[in-house]
Amino acid sequence: MSLRRTNQILGSSLVAFFLVVALTGLLWTPENPLAIHLQDKLMPPGPGHWLGTDEYGRDVLSRLMAAAGTSVSISTLTVLCSVFFGLILGALSGYCRGWVDRTIMLFTDTLLAFPSMLLALALLSIMGTNISGVIIALGLAYLPTVTRVVRGSVMSLREQDYIEASRLMGHPAGYTLLVHIIPNCLAPVIVIATSMFGSVLLTESALSFLGLGVPPPAPTWGNMLAGARPYMEQAVWLGIFPGLCISMTLLGINLFGDYVRDRFDPRMRGL
Amino acid sequence: MKKNALWFHFAFAGSVLFGASSLCAQTLNVQISADLRSSEPGINRDSLSDSVMMNVGEGLVAFGEGGDIKPMLAKSWNVSDNGTTYTFHLRDDVVFHNGAPLTAALAKQSLDTLRATPAFNCASFFDGSRGAAIEKITAPDAHTVVISLSKPDAMFLKYTAQSQCGGMAIMHPDSFSKDGSWDHPIGTGPFVFDKWTRGQSIHLTRFKDYKPVGDKIDGYAGRKEVLVDDVNLIVTPDKSTAVAALRSGDLDILPYLPPSEAKNLMNDPAFKVVAEPHGGMITLLMQTADPVLSSREMRLAIAKSLDIPQIVDAATNGLGTPNASLVATRSVYHDAVQDERIAYAPQDVTDLLKAAGYKGQEIVIQTNRRNPINENVAIISQAMLQMNGINARIEVLEWATQLDRFRNGKYQLSAFNYSNRADPALAYSAVTASKKDRGSAIWDDPKAIALLNDVLQTPDGPKRQALFDQLHELFLHDVPMLMLANGIDVSVTAADIVGYRTWNGFTRLWGVGVKK
Amino acid sequence: MLRFMVARLLTAIPTLILVSITVFTMIRLVPGDPVTLMLGDNADQQVYDAMRHHLGLDQSIPTQMFLWFQALLHGDLGHSITTGEPVLQLVLHRFFVSAQLVLIAIAISAFIAVPLGMIAAWRQSSGFDLGVVITATMLMSIPTFWGGLMLLLFFGLKLGWLPVIGYVSIAQNFWSGLIYLIMPVASLVLHETGILVRMARASTLDVLRLDYITHARAKGLSDAAILTRHVARNAFGPTWTLLGLILGNLLGGVAVIETVFTIPGLGRLIVESIFGRDYPVLQGCLLFVAVTYVVVNLIIDLCYPLFDPRIKAQ
Repeated sequence: MSLRRTNQILGSSLVAFFLVVALTGLLWTPENPLAIHLQDKLMPPGPGHWLGTDEYGRDVLSRLMAAAGTSVSISTLTVLCSVFFGLILGALSGYCRGWVDRTIMLFTDTLLAFPSMLLALALLSIMGTNISGVIIALGLAYLPTVTRVVRGSVMSLREQDYIEASRLMGHPAGYTLLVHIIPNCLAPVIVIATSMFGSVLLTESALSFLGLGVPPPAPTWGNMLAGARPYMEQAVWLGIFPGLCISMTLLGINLFGDYVRDRFDPRMRGL
Repeated sequence: MKKNALWFHFAFAGSVLFGASSLCAQTLNVQISADLRSSEPGINRDSLSDSVMMNVGEGLVAFGEGGDIKPMLAKSWNVSDNGTTYTFHLRDDVVFHNGAPLTAALAKQSLDTLRATPAFNCASFFDGSRGAAIEKITAPDAHTVVISLSKPDAMFLKYTAQSQCGGMAIMHPDSFSKDGSWDHPIGTGPFVFDKWTRGQSIHLTRFKDYKPVGDKIDGYAGRKEVLVDDVNLIVTPDKSTAVAALRSGDLDILPYLPPSEAKNLMNDPAFKVVAEPHGGMITLLMQTADPVLSSREMRLAIAKSLDIPQIVDAATNGLGTPNASLVATRSVYHDAVQDERIAYAPQDVTDLLKAAGYKGQEIVIQTNRRNPINENVAIISQAMLQMNGINARIEVLEWATQLDRFRNGKYQLSAFNYSNRADPALAYSAVTASKKDRGSAIWDDPKAIALLNDVLQTPDGPKRQALFDQLHELFLHDVPMLMLANGIDVSVTAADIVGYRTWNGFTRLWGVGVKK
Repeated sequence: MLRFMVARLLTAIPTLILVSITVFTMIRLVPGDPVTLMLGDNADQQVYDAMRHHLGLDQSIPTQMFLWFQALLHGDLGHSITTGEPVLQLVLHRFFVSAQLVLIAIAISAFIAVPLGMIAAWRQSSGFDLGVVITATMLMSIPTFWGGLMLLLFFGLKLGWLPVIGYVSIAQNFWSGLIYLIMPVASLVLHETGILVRMARASTLDVLRLDYITHARAKGLSDAAILTRHVARNAFGPTWTLLGLILGNLLGGVAVIETVFTIPGLGRLIVESIFGRDYPVLQGCLLFVAVTYVVVNLIIDLCYPLFDPRIKAQ
């Protein structure tokens, strides 16, 4: 029990903390995160700039807050995108079987055969690096995982008696899918979605590192971290704070995800 | 050759096991940020490949320190009175890396092969599409090469010496395999191209039979004395890793470090930082065919909104010098007129914007992350434009994409760098042309094009100077683009390396030694 | 068994064809081509056209694709546009580099993670369990490149124990090869161990709930005996599957670590060929990664019964 409590408390407080920061960052920051003051560049943390300034004299705290907003929005939208399309594709594939299933599986297999990172790289090169590009690329990269999980649940669900009953009662397939099947395969999807949230954050930072993430001047934790590399010795704070933000958020999400899994995954219930 | 390779492995393993490069003091370990495209000069190349291959191959003539033409394999040459026949007299003490002596017949064969290769990067300089065409090359005796041109061309020798043409380096026919495909370079330069481990390193050794000419180092020409036994060019794409390797002694020279990173090492006694300006150009391009930017007032408003000295200072970390002229700061043609610039005057911007009929349309600045200077220029310019009421936004592109847009003229503003132009006329040629003929043309003004054509036909001298001055006045009036500064190479070496500096963007490995 | 394998490989063919077509078309849709990059700011239309023609890039995409497939059937993946090397040779060489990195990292991670995860599950809710789970979660929350960079700063620079750049193949010189692999492997191990510990723990918990374990306990078997004899075999199944997924993903995804530590591996080759628009290399690499993915998963499936008797029974 103690682990679950720890997960719940530590996880949700970390997640809640960063969510509040993100929401605040979208509305208000101590200073304009994009304002350049070249005379104040690379100032160490201290009064005025609590977390220091970067190579353009921009306030790191303000940028971290704004970045929290961007990073969280990107992750949320990406997860929502892949969950939405994954649910549709997976449900169709699992429910209809036959050629629909085969086509969708061919599609997901093709996507799966590319490592997600490379798929995102290639897509970003085509679409250009901007926030919507990052969301589409990562959303597509994570789509097959959701599709496969949903398909699996749907396939086992469709053999259940109450689904059979709904079909016999003459409900159209769409109705059965929406009312009976999809709600019942949400549990594993929620579990995946939580872990995906973290891995989108990680992949975005890695893409920024390779120069293809969200472009400057808009801050994200990933591109702040990548941009801090030349100053790692001279201005440690530039690398440490965004790094900490990523790690702590991920820690929060993963712990929270464990808690969610315990709640929603019936197999794990009571452990 | 074999022995050298063995020594290389031994040395490499040694430096690994003992973590000290001082044990093999006669080897230079030099960073190269990407692998060579090929070892065939002037064919499949980029500036990094040129930089390495110019240590291996030599042409008939070469650029001297100030962008003037100096003898190299030819000890002298005459031009016929009508300006169409160039007669080169070859040195008689030159041997190729394989021991074969240089003859006029071999030089002719090498130049003819190069010209006939479809992928020759500089074809347009010698086929009549820019200036004169090479009609034929003959070798009347063992030490004389004669090149006949279709018409006089004051730029001919300068064209041949360009590094992007591989300096028209003379290569021995055995550089090609039996089926005519390229094998490995056998040149006459001070370094032998010994071993290329693709994706990892290039190993050059000292050419023992090299006969230095001249008495001092002079551009690509002059005295080329090799002070080390061999050089490893180690492919290290990541800059931070390269700096770490320099600290740990795994690398001795980082030829092209971004100024921001070099700055951190400047006060450290373990390193030497050398900033060398070259003839490349750091610019903010403007698409004069764009609906918003077609107005001269608009372009002038942009120019006056930007505090260029501050941009240059920040983008190059204080290592660059602002220069508003396409004539490089160090060129002999950079006189007082070339120092004139459009002053930073934010107070004039409002009126100019009104005159231009600007209604807050968004203006996109393209840039890339491959070159930190471009990125800095874009970020700072955007902030300054925003401050002066110009609605600028940044679009960060992958380098190949930005280059594609540049080639097709698809941009509004673009933070773009031109590579080294050894002569001011080449710098003007890069930007001045009709947009109909060339998508990448920036300055499409008949007056400028006519002036440029005059420059290309005028030999060095005061007349040429006057033409450059007129061009600059016109350039400042038209504001077709903003020239910010000349490119700089910032190189960092370990403290025990002596004599290293880049020249015109070129990693020159001769004259570099290790202090005991 | 053989029939199963052949059938599996045959069903993979449409996927591979689709992968090839997608890659082929996708990379050509990206703005900028190899010739643009080669010419840089010397954008002469005439030279540009001549070089495109020389490389066969002026043909239509379907024609280019047809020619590529035709050559592929003869086992020819073409030559790199940037370096002229045969693609197959290049890919195999780089694959070997990445594979040794990834396999060593995965083997070490599994070796550390599986026992730890099992013990944590066995002592569920104890302080040990809590410690293991929190540590594992923290490890997987550190971006690999960040971890790698920190290792590089500390061991390479501050202490100077390990070389900062370079790469020596272990086939060429075993010991110095090993020294170069320490830091990159360590940064992968840190991250993957985090993931695997959690997986091993979860699947062990799954098995521990089953009746026969309760039985075994009731019979009075020692903890060690139950863990090694009953739990280990059964709990390894899901971990094994995950291992396959990680392996597939890592082979293509170590680009970042390879960039930080200057290792000439497949990941870096792929990233470079995207940036350098080296069409034949990218096509070759991604086809190769896809084939590897199919083969690895086949092997994983074939080995699955060894670890999970329930599958064999079916």
